[in-house]
Amino acid sequence: MIRIALGFLLFVTHFCDAQFGSPVAFSDSQEKTVLETSPEFFILDWKPNTALHISETPLEIITDSVGAQKVNLFRDNTEAPILYSSNIITPVCADGDCKFMHITLYWTLLGDYAGFDRSVKEPLTKHDHDEFLFSDYWKLHDLLKDDNSILKRRAIDELVTKPKPSKIEGVDALSGATVKEVKESVVSGALYSCYVAWHLVHGKIKEQLKAYTVEQLNEEMLVRMLNSEHTNYQMYALENLDQNQYKVNFSRVSELFKSGIPLVRSFIIKNLANSFSQSPTTMQPFWDALPYIDINTRSLLLQHVDFASDATVTHISTQLSVLTRNQLLKYLEHLGSKKVISTEVLKNLEQFAASNKEKNAYLVTEFLEDNS
Amino acid sequence: MKNLLTVLILFIASLNAVAQDILLEAESFDNPGGWVVDPQFVEQMGSPYLNAHGMGKPVKNASTAVEFKKSGTYHIWVRTMNWVPGEWEAPGRFQLKVGETVLDTVLGTRSGWGWQYAGEAKINKKQATHIELQDLTGFNGRCDAIYFSTKKDTPPSSTKKLAAWRQEITAQPNAPEEVKSYDLVVVGGGLAGCAAAIAGAEQGLKVALIHDRPVLGGNASEEIRVHTLGIYGNFERILKKIDTEHYPNGSADAKLDQEKRDKNVKSYDNIDLFLNWRAYDALSEENSVKYVDARQTFTGERKRFTAPYFVDSTGDGWIGFWAGAEFSYGRESVDTYGEHWEEHGELWSPKEADNAVMGSSVLWGSKDTDSPQSFPEVPWAMPVSKDYSEVNGEWQWEFSRNDLSQIDDAEEIRDHMLRAIYGSFSSAKKDEVNENRKLEWVSYLVGKRESRRLVGDHIFTFNNAKEGTEFPDGVVIETRAVDVHYQTVLEDENNPDFISEALFYRGPQYYIPYRSLYSKNIKNLFMAGRNFSCSHAGLGGPRVMLTTGQMGAAVGYAASLCKKYEVMPREIYTGYLQEYLDLIEEQKYEKIPTSKK
Ligand SMILES: Cc1cc2nc3c(=O)[nH]c(=O)nc-3n(C[C@H](O)[C@H](O)[C@H](O)COP(=O)(O)OP(=O)(O)OC[C@H]3O[C@@H](n4cnc5c(N)ncnc54)[C@H](O)[C@@H]3O)c2cc1C
Repeated sequence: MIRIALGFLLFVTHFCDAQFGSPVAFSDSQEKTVLETSPEFFILDWKPNTALHISETPLEIITDSVGAQKVNLFRDNTEAPILYSSNIITPVCADGDCKFMHITLYWTLLGDYAGFDRSVKEPLTKHDHDEFLFSDYWKLHDLLKDDNSILKRRAIDELVTKPKPSKIEGVDALSGATVKEVKESVVSGALYSCYVAWHLVHGKIKEQLKAYTVEQLNEEMLVRMLNSEHTNYQMYALENLDQNQYKVNFSRVSELFKSGIPLVRSFIIKNLANSFSQSPTTMQPFWDALPYIDINTRSLLLQHVDFASDATVTHISTQLSVLTRNQLLKYLEHLGSKKVISTEVLKNLEQFAASNKEKNAYLVTEFLEDNS
Repeated sequence: MKNLLTVLILFIASLNAVAQDILLEAESFDNPGGWVVDPQFVEQMGSPYLNAHGMGKPVKNASTAVEFKKSGTYHIWVRTMNWVPGEWEAPGRFQLKVGETVLDTVLGTRSGWGWQYAGEAKINKKQATHIELQDLTGFNGRCDAIYFSTKKDTPPSSTKKLAAWRQEITAQPNAPEEVKSYDLVVVGGGLAGCAAAIAGAEQGLKVALIHDRPVLGGNASEEIRVHTLGIYGNFERILKKIDTEHYPNGSADAKLDQEKRDKNVKSYDNIDLFLNWRAYDALSEENSVKYVDARQTFTGERKRFTAPYFVDSTGDGWIGFWAGAEFSYGRESVDTYGEHWEEHGELWSPKEADNAVMGSSVLWGSKDTDSPQSFPEVPWAMPVSKDYSEVNGEWQWEFSRNDLSQIDDAEEIRDHMLRAIYGSFSSAKKDEVNENRKLEWVSYLVGKRESRRLVGDHIFTFNNAKEGTEFPDGVVIETRAVDVHYQTVLEDENNPDFISEALFYRGPQYYIPYRSLYSKNIKNLFMAGRNFSCSHAGLGGPRVMLTTGQMGAAVGYAASLCKKYEVMPREIYTGYLQEYLDLIEEQKYEKIPTSKK
């Protein structure tokens, strides 16, 4: 059944026009040349009172049987580029039944998925012609957010194969990862729509959009990205700002060190590794963030403990509970390399060692034994 | 046999100056009962130990009988640990029974491996004293050794001091007394090691295959249950003897292929199989491995293995490490080999090198039954599993963290996974749809993906895979997509830290050169398996087990040519490459036995 449907999906690409006539209905947002509210499903931050106006780009998306569809760029009132968008009409076929899917897609300046608007006149439908519920749109949104979805690396027929049944006694119900993963990520009864939409969003156009942005890139855009809440913008900015721009924007960088996702944090700390020895005082906000950051980043931070101020080293002795075993060992190694350990640090160590709730208390006990 | 050795150790101990002291290694118990012998972490904690892996149901008592030379009152210590100290009762609690008396002290409650005082007992030398370990929880209580002494001096806890103390108390000589000589010594019986042994043996080499488990296959074994992926390349005939079907990872179907694999490897007369033997040292002189020392994991018996050539297929590159081979660990910076992949940026290859690697897994599964099944509360597991709720695991159950070495901290990694599993299952049990669900199987072995990579004459990189570089000595062929894993918590801190995600790169067919299969600086050392010579991203494709199996077979053949010309592995590339490639080509076909010609 499924294989037949797939055959039809391929077949229809050639005969679509004949079957459907020309597609006429357009997504409701087609006429929108100004965006005054955020798209309905959207991942970026939308500042109140924003109005974006449309401008053309040379980019287009070709869909089966419909042809080229324009990709536009929305700019703000200072002409700064903000968002790419395209009104898409594309056929989707399943089980011998074909329909047009209408959707307005949005991409970030780096070509990542930004969101979509549905068409009120032409809602998305499932296998049995039921219309998408609002929750189904949300699920689609979640799927499109995942640039590493399983839909990327499997042909559609591979997504619906069942694992072979178990031949001998033992563990059952180990459903094949594929089927389970797919079930969890796509709208039930709308695998084909989801598949088509995902490949539209994450297809070739991604790279083209990014390349188009890079052509126009300037410092202002980078700084805007740095200040965005969107991780890929933050990361791109961090990767592309030069040393001087890092300095100028240091307060935002150190704020991101605390608030960003672990990947962003670890990038920052690796990128600024030299600053710990060269300008220890500037790095104080980093040390202040120690208890709030993830374990991997904390390990990277502790690699620089030899350059921390005495006050910071003392302060860490009050935060031993947050350290993992190896981090604690690293810290103790630092203390061990010092000629003297202050009485305040010693007091904190003793207190920690005496606790019977602390998993790593025994390490401090051993350290105190060796260093007394 | 076990009995004999336990007694032997005790006898030696009794000859020692401190005649009233006796060290009883738990792994040498006459009858381990429901406890399993766990030798995975000997390099870190000093010895194999008994582990009460009952998945929540207390396991049957382990027992043994000890003959004391002197009657008297003995102080007793147990080397143990509380594997999750915290604001709850220790998960792995047990008690010790000496003779007819169960000692009051609840054991398994001290943090970090070390000696816990168990109490004292009156011992009569006239009859053998019966010793038992009584598990209280079924949640991985651990007992390494029991020490009886008429004096009340606690033995040392630190691993270094303990090793010396152990050696002194058991009066062991430095070198194993028995020396065995082979043409080729293969250490580690995963797919790579099995294939190397078979290929070498088929070419007439006398081979020793040293493997620390009772069954062969490494991650493919019924003990870990990963199915083999990849293609057969040049070695279909051999690899079909040891591979698996494509069942879901963790499936009990792994048992079927286990029988096939073990039977096939055992069918070679010139492979001496040392199952349950773990290599613990190797020595090199003038940049050549002279010998590998190994120890029986239950009895402690030791042997020395000498050979002109060695294969390190331990996964963790142990032989290379001990012999002083160059190795690497962690992710190289993106510039080291230019392994950039725009789409995934830092997640794929970092701007600056770091210690991140793909993590290790513990596979597990449950099954539905006809009646309600209970599962205990596991407060000590919840800080790891949080609100995750699951009834089965798959490959994504994987754990790595920059501050943890997949080798040195493997026990902590395994334990973290156990907490993730028990906690998630316990949460799932709260849902009434799972009322009849029973936790069926949880591995206690860590399935590893990445740790030490030994450095060869060529370092295989992602670019070699991406570009399908055609090497003159490309003896391994693969078509499978490259995939590298990362922990999803790196992107979203709300995710559980034990779940990973894969980034797939679909490229052309690619090749691994022979030069990546022998050490750059240790002349007679081959490596096959995930510890072959590659970069972090380079390991992304070839780590799967048919590819690693191909590596094994390739080095087995190379070793036979090395012996024929009495040369070192490198010289096969520089002087005998064509003959080597012809030999590989020829082996594809089953030879017609002379009797049938
Ligand atoms: C959960 C999981 C899922 C995976 N999914 C797949 C998959 O679907 N298909 C696939 O092909 N691959 C998969 N992999 C990867 C693959 O299993 C490993 O990369 C591969 O097993 C490595 O092979 P190896 O022979 O080098 O090591 P191993 O298979 O680990 O074998 C090495 C053996 O050496 C033994 N050993 C180690 N040290 C010593 C010593 N000192 N003395 C004696 N013996 C020793 C070990 O006990 C071990 O059994 C997966 C891995 C994991 C963990």
